[in-house]
Amino acid sequence: MENKENQRFRFDFSTVFGNTKKYIDSYNTRQTQLTDKLNANHRATAEMIIRLYLKQLNQARSLEFLNSEDLPGFTTFNSSLAKCKGCTNRTIINHKERLKRAGFILKEEHRGAGGVELWVNPEVLGIINLPTCAVNRIAGIKGTGSLFYPEVKNFHPLVHELQEQKNINSSVDKSGVRPAHSHGLSAGTPSTASPADKATGTQEHHKNMGKNVASASDKEQSSTKKQEQVSGEAGRIFSLSLVCQFWEYARKVLYPGIILSDPEEREILNLIWASVYGKFRLKATEAELLDYHESAITRVDIVARWLSRKGLHWIPPPHLYFHPNNDRNGFKKTWQWYVKQQILKLEVRNQLLIQQIKAEWQQHQAGRGRFKQKTRLQLFRVQQKRLSQYRDESLMQAFHLCLQRSLHLKKLKDNAF
Amino acid sequence: MLSERERKEALTKCIVWFYDSNVCTFYSRDKTHKKAQPNQALGIRRLEKMLMETFKGQWETAIIYENRRKGKEIAKYKRGVRIF
Repeated sequence: MENKENQRFRFDFSTVFGNTKKYIDSYNTRQTQLTDKLNANHRATAEMIIRLYLKQLNQARSLEFLNSEDLPGFTTFNSSLAKCKGCTNRTIINHKERLKRAGFILKEEHRGAGGVELWVNPEVLGIINLPTCAVNRIAGIKGTGSLFYPEVKNFHPLVHELQEQKNINSSVDKSGVRPAHSHGLSAGTPSTASPADKATGTQEHHKNMGKNVASASDKEQSSTKKQEQVSGEAGRIFSLSLVCQFWEYARKVLYPGIILSDPEEREILNLIWASVYGKFRLKATEAELLDYHESAITRVDIVARWLSRKGLHWIPPPHLYFHPNNDRNGFKKTWQWYVKQQILKLEVRNQLLIQQIKAEWQQHQAGRGRFKQKTRLQLFRVQQKRLSQYRDESLMQAFHLCLQRSLHLKKLKDNAF
Repeated sequence: MLSERERKEALTKCIVWFYDSNVCTFYSRDKTHKKAQPNQALGIRRLEKMLMETFKGQWETAIIYENRRKGKEIAKYKRGVRIF
């Protein structure tokens, strides 16, 4: 019987390595900063730890009975890991710190001359599926946001870019000012109407096409283009209204007493269009854009709350705060705050729901509550139906785990009596 | 000191009435570098900075206009406070 049990806990290297890769990948997708991600070196250390740990576990399995809930830790020495990897002890210590922060290593115990004992996350070993802490939700939040905030550094292109392609003499309004007269004075035309132009580059289509006579196919294309432009026109108005609404709200909340002239306001709108809405490069539906707009408004509220707290909190003037290149104290940073807030909200909601579930089970066992007439299966179905409405995989996992634990505790109690 | 051409090409100008009864006109520098696109907002910010920092406490009224014939008023300052 014990042998059979032990057979169950034979760890397959390829599965566990797959889990390790999946775990690190999912952790990396959750991180917005490149420096917070686990790099290839950390990954190599994690894989080495896993390889040696599995070797130990499989050896221990042949000698004694292993309980899945109480697996021994990985006993090792920093120096032996360093030798195995070909690096210094300090590097191993640093890597362990990073892996601990990522939740890959749960606990570390120092045993003096006996080395160190590490407890690896059971999720990696494939023993239990822990609640994923709304990982999917984060991915959902990042879905729109990641398009506006590139997750990698903006390296220079490897291929030389021809200067002519940039079209310096283009009449596209980049600075919020379009020369109207021969001597380059400012025109009254607001560049607020042009963001979508800039995004699609439609204004430059007439330039240097290399064709003198329009053929029949060209005429057909031009007619379809006109139709597209009509739909594009509506989209442009929609996106412009979003930018204007955002600025009006931000101005009211963050800069209540500010007086700005038309050119300054136009410039700020251009900056918001570029930094907050990512120049509308995203091919998103109106509903998705509205969702993102709501999140941007929430971020403004977060900043307002932060400003109203005690302390010398301040934000720079709008032309700096909304500048796309301002990585230090710009509006971009609030994206991380927003993600953190949303995760926390979801976690609190899930915890409350699970608490309610627990209370219902306790009441049911005591023969009280509104579900006292129902069988255990009926109660389970009711709760499952209720929780499935939230469409949160991590919540369902937590629900199943909670039930398993409560049943396990009940068994233990029964055995004790 | 701006050249004649730079004065002509400036997008905005600022007329300042000083307490010592002098009246001066200043022209904006609207480019971040020689070949940059002119940025009117940048010019206005630079003029404002000049008023608030360089000539702090020395002037009574300052008005920023568009630098063209019959150019409209863009901003007006009275005793260190922006009115519109």
